[in-house]
This record gives sequence, C-alpha cells and structure tokens, in this order.
Amino acid sequence: MRKDENSLFYGIDKITILIYLLLVLMGWLNIYAAVYNEDHQNIFDTTQKYGKQLIWIASAIFIAVIILIIDAGVYTVFAYFFYGFILMACIAVPYLGREVKGSRSWFRFGDFGIQPAEFMKFATNLALAKFLSNVNIEVENSSRRNRLSDLLKNYKNTFIAVLILGMPLIVIKLLQDETGLAIVFVAFIVTLYREGLSINFLIFGLLSALLFVLSLIIDSRTLILIIFIISSLSFLVIKRSLKNVIIVAIIALAASGIVLGTNYVYQHLEAHQKTRIDVLLGRGTVDLKKEGYNVNQAKIAIGSGGFFGKGYLQGTQTKYDFVPEQDTDFIFCTVGEEWGFLGTSVVIILELFLIIRVIFMSERQRSSFSRIYGYGVATVLFFHVAVNIGMTIGLMPVIGIPLPFFSYGGSSLWSFTILLFIFIKLDAKRLVILR
Amino acid sequence: MENKKDILSRTYLVYIFLCVFALAILYKICIIQFKEGDEWKAKAEAFNTKVFEIEAVRGNIFDVNMNLLATSLPYYEVAVDINAPSIDKKLFDGKIDSLGFMLSELFKDKTSKQYNKILRKARKSGDRYVVLKRNVSYKDLLVLKTFPIFKRGKRGGLVTLQTNKRELPFQMLAARTIGMSRPGIKPVGLEGAFDTTLMGVSGQRLMQKIAGDVWRPINDENEVEPKDGSDLITTIDINIQDVAENALEKTLIKNNASHGCAILMEVKTGAIKAIANLTRNGKDSSSYSYSENLNYAVLNATEPGSTFKLASLMAVIDEYNVSLDEKVPVGNGEVTYYNKTIKDAHAPAEPVLTLQRVFETSSNVGVAKTIMKYFSKDPQKYVDKINSFHLNQKLGLSIPGEASPLIKNTKGPDWSGVTLAQMSYGYETLLTPLQILAFYNAVANDGRMVKPRFEKEIIKNGKSVKTFTTEVLVEQIAKKETIKKAKIMMEGVVLNGSGKGLNITAFKVGGKTGTAQIAKAGKKGYGVAGDRNYQASFVGYFPADKPLYTCIVVIYNPSKGAYYGGLIAGPVFKEIAEKVYSSSLDFMEPINNKQNLLTKAPASIKSKNDEMLIASNALQLPVKSNATEGNYVSRNTIDSTSVALVSNNLESQLKKGIVPNLNGLSAKDALFLLENSGFHVKLYGMGSVRKQSIEAGQKFNRGDKITLILS
Repeated sequence: MRKDENSLFYGIDKITILIYLLLVLMGWLNIYAAVYNEDHQNIFDTTQKYGKQLIWIASAIFIAVIILIIDAGVYTVFAYFFYGFILMACIAVPYLGREVKGSRSWFRFGDFGIQPAEFMKFATNLALAKFLSNVNIEVENSSRRNRLSDLLKNYKNTFIAVLILGMPLIVIKLLQDETGLAIVFVAFIVTLYREGLSINFLIFGLLSALLFVLSLIIDSRTLILIIFIISSLSFLVIKRSLKNVIIVAIIALAASGIVLGTNYVYQHLEAHQKTRIDVLLGRGTVDLKKEGYNVNQAKIAIGSGGFFGKGYLQGTQTKYDFVPEQDTDFIFCTVGEEWGFLGTSVVIILELFLIIRVIFMSERQRSSFSRIYGYGVATVLFFHVAVNIGMTIGLMPVIGIPLPFFSYGGSSLWSFTILLFIFIKLDAKRLVILR
Repeated sequence: MENKKDILSRTYLVYIFLCVFALAILYKICIIQFKEGDEWKAKAEAFNTKVFEIEAVRGNIFDVNMNLLATSLPYYEVAVDINAPSIDKKLFDGKIDSLGFMLSELFKDKTSKQYNKILRKARKSGDRYVVLKRNVSYKDLLVLKTFPIFKRGKRGGLVTLQTNKRELPFQMLAARTIGMSRPGIKPVGLEGAFDTTLMGVSGQRLMQKIAGDVWRPINDENEVEPKDGSDLITTIDINIQDVAENALEKTLIKNNASHGCAILMEVKTGAIKAIANLTRNGKDSSSYSYSENLNYAVLNATEPGSTFKLASLMAVIDEYNVSLDEKVPVGNGEVTYYNKTIKDAHAPAEPVLTLQRVFETSSNVGVAKTIMKYFSKDPQKYVDKINSFHLNQKLGLSIPGEASPLIKNTKGPDWSGVTLAQMSYGYETLLTPLQILAFYNAVANDGRMVKPRFEKEIIKNGKSVKTFTTEVLVEQIAKKETIKKAKIMMEGVVLNGSGKGLNITAFKVGGKTGTAQIAKAGKKGYGVAGDRNYQASFVGYFPADKPLYTCIVVIYNPSKGAYYGGLIAGPVFKEIAEKVYSSSLDFMEPINNKQNLLTKAPASIKSKNDEMLIASNALQLPVKSNATEGNYVSRNTIDSTSVALVSNNLESQLKKGIVPNLNGLSAKDALFLLENSGFHVKLYGMGSVRKQSIEAGQKFNRGDKITLILS
C-alpha cells in the first residue's frame, strides 16, 4: 500500500488524463489538416507547424510528468513566487522580447517562441487559491453580512483578490496589448463567486455588460432617458424613502456613466476592434471581404461540413487558406469542415466533459486551496472554450484566444498542461493535503 | 448548514451556467450546419471557385514576305504574396534586402530602399497581393523568376497576371488597313475583318480563391485549353508600303493637304501591295503632323472628277465604236447646258480636238460634248454602260466600312437636265479611290475586273489553312478593242498630256490625272474660287507594255496654290512605281537571262587566293573569301550570284607529307607546289588537274613520282 502511494501515478485521475491526451492528439491531426500542403506531406516534418506541434506535445507531456513528480506542497508554498516571477516576465517582455507580427509578447528562441502571458494563467490561479485559502474566510459570506467589521474586512479581501486578478490583466493589456490573453482574468470572477462573492457583483457585472451592449446599439441620449424613466417608475414598487431615492439616483447616474463611458471607450477603440464589435452586432455595412471575412469564412467552413463533414484532409475552405488563423484560433473550423457536426460535437463534448470533470474533482477536495485552484482551472478552460468556439461561429466578437489543448501553439499548450496537471497532482494528493 | 446549502446552490448555478452556454453553442452549430447548411455550402462554392476565361493568343498579321505587321505581346502584372505560408521568417529576413535591390536594379523605378519598405510593410500587415509592377515584358519576367525568394517557383510567392497587347512593329505603316479589334468599338481593317480567325477560342480554367483576393488554379491543366488564333498573311509588301507612306506624307506636307491616300494593286490578282492613308493632325501649321487615322481608300466616296472621264469615253467607244481620231469641237473651252456652264481648266490649244487629245488634255468640254452628242437622247444607255463597268456596286472588300458608290439613274428623283453632262467628267457621282482603282485595274488587265484583296493566306502553326484566290467581279467589262483604245489614251496622257510631268524613263506608264473641285463644308455647289477645295489624283498602270501594277494617289485639299492632279499626285505615283520597278524581279527577268554566266563556270577551281579575287572582281561576281591559311583556295559556288573562297590546306598537307586533292588546280600551280615538295611530276594534257596517280590522303617521300592528267 505504501509503495503504491509513493508511485507516480497513485491517485491521479486517469479519466482527465485520457481526455487530455485525446484532445491533444485530435488537435495535432487537425493542425496537420489545416496547414497541410502537398510539398510537405510528412506529419513529422518539423519545418512545418504540425511537426513543431509534435515537439510541443512531447515537451508538454514531459512537463506534465515533472509536475506529477514534484511534491504537491511546492505549488502551495511557491504560489506567490510563481505569480511574482511570471508577472515580472510579462512586464519585461515588451522591452526584452522581439516583435512578431506587431505583437510584443514573445520571447523567441530560434524558430520557437514563448509567450509569458500564457503562463500567467496558472500563476494567477495559484496565487488566488493561496490567498483565498490562507485568509480562510469566504470573500463575502451572506450569513455574516450584517456585521460591519466583517464587511470591511471582507471588502479588503475582495479588493486584494481583485488586485491579484487585475494586475496581470492590466499588464498584459496595456504593456503587451494582448486583449485575448488579458480578458481571461475576468473569468476568475466565477471562482470568486463560488467562494462566496456576493451575487450582486455578478448581477452588477451582467447589467453593466447589458448596458454596454445596449449603449452600442441604442443612441446614448435615448438610453439615458430610458434609464431615468425606469428609475422613476421603480418608485411605484419600492418605498419612497430618502435612502431609496438616493440609492436609485446613484444607480441611475452610474448606469448613465457606463453608457457614456462605453461610448467614449468605443469611440477610442482601435479600428479593428470597433469593426469586430460592429460585425457581431450586425451594424453598418459589413464588407464580407474585409471585416466580416474571418467569421463569414469560418461559418462557410463549418456550414459546408454538414453532418459527417468532407472527410479528413478534404476540406477546401481551410486547406486553401480561406480561413485565417485556421491552425490556431480558428482550428474549430477545420474540425467543422472536415469532420462535420459529429466532429464538432465530439470536440465540444470532450472539452465540456473535461471542465465538468474538473469541477467535480474540485468539489471533492478537502483543502480549500485545491478546491479554489480547481475552480480556477475549470473557469479558465471554460472561458477559452466558450469564447473560442463562440467567436468561430459568430456568437461573440473575435478575440484571439486559443481552443485549449487543440490550437497550434507551444505556449498555450504548455500553459494549459501546467494548469491542468498541477490540479491533477493536487487531486492525487487530496487525501494528504488538508488545507 | 445554511452555509453549505448556499455553496451547493452556487455550485449548481455554475453547472447550469456551463450547460446553458454549451447548449447555446450546440444550438448555433446546428443552425449553421443544418438549417443554413445549404446556404453556406453554396456560398463556399460561389466564394471559392470560379471559371476564368483564358484569352487565346491572337494570331499575327504578316506582310507578303512574312514580316510581322501586327502581333500580340504578353505583358504581365507582377505581384507578390509575401505572406505566403511557404515564405517563412528566416527566408524573408535573409533574402528581403537582396530582393529589394534586384527589383530596383531591374525596374529602375524605385530605389532598393523603397522596394524594401514596400515588402516589409506588406509582410507586417499580412497583405497577400502586393503589385510590384505592371506591364512587365516576358523577358523581364524571366529575369524576375531568378530572383531570391521568387526562384522557389510555386512557393516563391510570385503572382503574375498576363495580358496581351497588340503591337504593330512597323507602327504607322498601313496601320489603318491592319486596323484594330477591341471590345466596344466597331471593327476596323483586317483585324476587324478577320477577327474570329485571329482571335482563336478562349480556354477555361477553374480557379479557386485563396485568402486575400488571390485566385489559384485548382488543377495543373486548364479545363478547356485555349485555341490560339491563326495567322493572317496579307498581300501588303512592307517595303513598298514604306515608300508609299513616305512619298504620300512628303507630298501632303509639301502641299499642306488635309489628307490623302495611295494604293498599289497587282493587276492580275487584285492583291493590294501597299495602302497608305494619312490625315493631318494639329490645329495650326506649327503643330501639323500626319498619321493613319481613317481608311480613305475604302470609306471615302467623293466626286472623282477627271479620272471618271475614262469610263465615259469607254462607254462611247464601246457602244458606238468611236475612233480616237474623231473630231470634237471644243471652241474656246466653254459650253453651257441649261443653267450650267462647263469650262476647261486651260483654254484648248485648238478649237477642234481629236478624242485622244480631249482625253490627254483632260478637256471637260470635249468629254461633255462627246457624251451629250451620243447619249443625250437616251441617257439611260450611258448609265447602263457605266453600270456594266461595275462602277455602281460595292467591291465587297473583306475589310469593313466600304462606302457605296453613287451612279445616278435617269429614273431617280435627283436626275436633272445637266446630270448627264456633269456625270461625263466626273461630277454628281461618288466613288472611293479603291473603286476607281479597281476599274482602271480592269482596263490594265485587258478588261477582266478582279476584286481588290488584302488577304493572301491563313496559316496556323506554319501550315496553310486557307489560301485566298483572286475573285473576278466582271469577266470582261468592255470589248477588247475598247480596252486597247483606252490604253492608248492613257499612255498618251503620260506621253503628251496632263501627266507629262511624270517623266518616268525606265518603263512606260499609262494613266489619268484628276482634279476635282469639292464644295467646302457648309457651302452649296462648287462655289467660286477660294471657296472651293480641290482633290488632286492620279491613277495609272505600269509598265504599260505588260501591266503588272496599278496605282492610285489622291490628295485632298492641297492648300499651297497648286492643285492639279499631275503636279501633286503624280510625284507620289512616280516614287512608288520606281520603287516597285527597282525591287521587283518581274521587271528584271530579261536582264537575268542574258547574263547567266556563273552557272556555266566549273564547280571547282583551285587557285591562289589573290588571283581568284582579281578574276572574280573582273567578272563582277560577288565573292566571299574565307581563306584563313595558305595561298591556295577552292571556289565553292553558293548560288548563281555569289561565290565563296575556302582554304583547302594544300600547302599544309604537303608539309605533313600527305598528298592533297589536286583536282581543279592549274598545271602551273600544280607543278609549283609539287616540285617544291620534292615530287617528280609528269603531266599529260592541258587545262587543270582531273586525275592524280597518287590518291589524296596517301603519304609520300621526297623524290616520289606523280603523274597528273589534265583536261
């Protein structure tokens, strides 16, 4: 029994690893299909992306094994260290790294490049888990809300938690201008919610998002007028006390502020981001050869696949480079075109099953660190899957983020692997780690 | 427990949220793949494949000696897909500087820095179709394909788009007759007439769209191969055309005429050897220039004036067998019919002229009186006679736009009392220069009227597809006797008449001058002097004894005082005729027969190089000496007119101890050479060596005996 416990694979969740391997393998085959060209038919040709991806996969598995070997305690102890170190790397890369395709987020080593921002995901997750489990209080617990001191204390903790998420977001967005990589950190709010963040925050967030979208669609003056009419009408329902009037007034003003702020931000967005939003909202005339091109091509690729797809390596849309970024962010099209509805369903089900599996595993943790970390993993994965597939099929604006374990790219594969395998390790030691 | 319940509910909420989103995605995918599936599929096809037409290469137009008159040259739009997947970072970074440099060196329109900047910018912005240069020749394209990156062939990112441009190597020469064919304009000239032959059949190629608005062929081969157009060989001789065009231009400039044309036609076949049409461009004299803008020869029907007199007099002679000596009273050169007074340009020398003299001096009064005398009772008879000369019908030329001639009819509404008299000397009638020429050509051809033609043969890949033959319009336009008289009259014009100034001595010419008065635009009638324009022409045939060519020259609106056909159009005729005479073998035949000396010379003679040259020069034989060593050469006859001298290494062979081929050597030379080499020579006979006792190629020693037989 003792011997078993010390073995590398003792207690690890084999189902998760199986799904991981399946996704990575399918991803690799689809990258081959997407990049396929007749001059280089050898799938092991390392001058081509599929060959490189194989190297990435091999090294990712190597990293996974290392993670499983390292004592689980390391991740708890060094959580802040990882966070701080990688955050510094993220700050440094625009100054030290080389520019690639207008992006300043890469350290390059010959043909291979590393994007530190990718690794910020697991580091932030570790730091957040450590912080939340250390303070040993839920961020905000409804049962204690009435006590003013708790409230303050909790708000202070909430602030620190938000700071942990906000720093990488700001660094990556402002210094590296990688919207896709930065926006992931917003997703951690789900973790906070699970750990007791007031539902009001989420409602506030959702309402803000709704206002944001509305203010893009409806003229801002009209919208503000509507806000004030609704505010006035609300007094028909609630008590007309001075306190309520002030609260409603503040809410109305804040809402108006969001509307105006959105307009301001929208006006100051870069052209390509503006058009992406316009495309999604169907505003203005969308030129299918320019702004709407990506999504339109992606839809054509998926739509022309039908139920069974065109067959492996038979896709014309993807093979002839119609779909841009078809091996990275738009890899889902390749699946849709060549494997059809069946293929896309399998990919969605696998990804979803992995996420649900991770949540399930989180819920069985004894230590809050492991649980919070697990939730973080699920959240990050879910956010990527949802946004990536969502943008491919036109449900969301185009934000350049990869499909976990599937898209081409070493940094993202390594990053997701590290993220997932740390959790697998924590899970394997769930009976040992109590906190 | 409340706490736990809260956490559980939160967990469930997260699950529900996940599932809702998953369902939303699945729903959307279902919509795209099933509900809208067909639509997207159709779009995929419409979007990414398209049948492109591939232009067939248009056939060439050649002159009669296979000189290119019109050809299509390919030009390329050269673009680069600098973001092609096959161009990786290493390749791009490594080669971009040298590529920029070489582009700059080749095109010389931008510095290498500028090219560098363009390429780098395109690389950065992901642009997949950057046009480098338009109108690149095939030659430059080949060079381009050797450049770094581009030389990787299909994977080098070079994208070319071919367009064909029509070029006329001789530029202006016969440009209007060669014509043009472009979509949207009326076909012009031979390009228009033989459009379908030259055009070929377009091919089809299925192309697929790749990102960035670039199309690439799906298959390596075209779906339908284009069939290139056939070539057209014309009857035009570019050398004569050159002379015609130059002579015409010179005369137009000299007389400041508005436009003019000159046509040379082969009598027997109707083949047009040269056709020049020039129009004056520019607003004032400082900017005048002439170019081929309109094909006057074909589409400009005007009142012919005096050149029509031949038709009138032939009508009389043919109908009434009138003698050329018939007396015509011309008085002081004025006659009035109804309200119209007809005057002669120059007062007649005598009050009574013979018919021959009337024609030679181009007396309007004489011709009008003769016609009125015979036909005034039955003018229709005259009209019918003129019509029998095929003058009232189009020639039916291959090139489009021929103007209809006008020969009035007595039953027509525009026939008046003076029409017959007016018609007789070339008014109230419309004819194009080519129609007049065809009529004169018929006379030169002993009455057989052939259709003028520009086309000789259609060939495809060097093989004849169709040969055009001479088309006879009228087998015999008039009696032989009439034709004979017409020729006598025309030769008289050049010998003693209005065409005397032509002054061609090498061969005889027959022809007729013409000076027509043309109403200025906007003025009615022929106006008074100063308000009228002139049209000076000369039409004739040569050599008169055995007519080979007819030629017409028409100069419109000369404005330097002179306006008589003989003075203005005559010199152009002369220049063309003399050029044809000097370059045509047909004229030279008798001379060649007399001096056919070379073919009788022995095929092989061996002698000293310098002696050979002297002898050849004395005989006025063109000689090419290729002698490189030694004094002795062999003579090789190249053809009947030239000779080549080749060294035969007699001396060097003897030095090596080898007996050379002595055949053809004179006795003197043979003795000199052989005895110097130590032979004992015995000679039999006279002349040059025919046989030698030791065969060529054998070794010999000093003191050997050799016997030579001469003949």
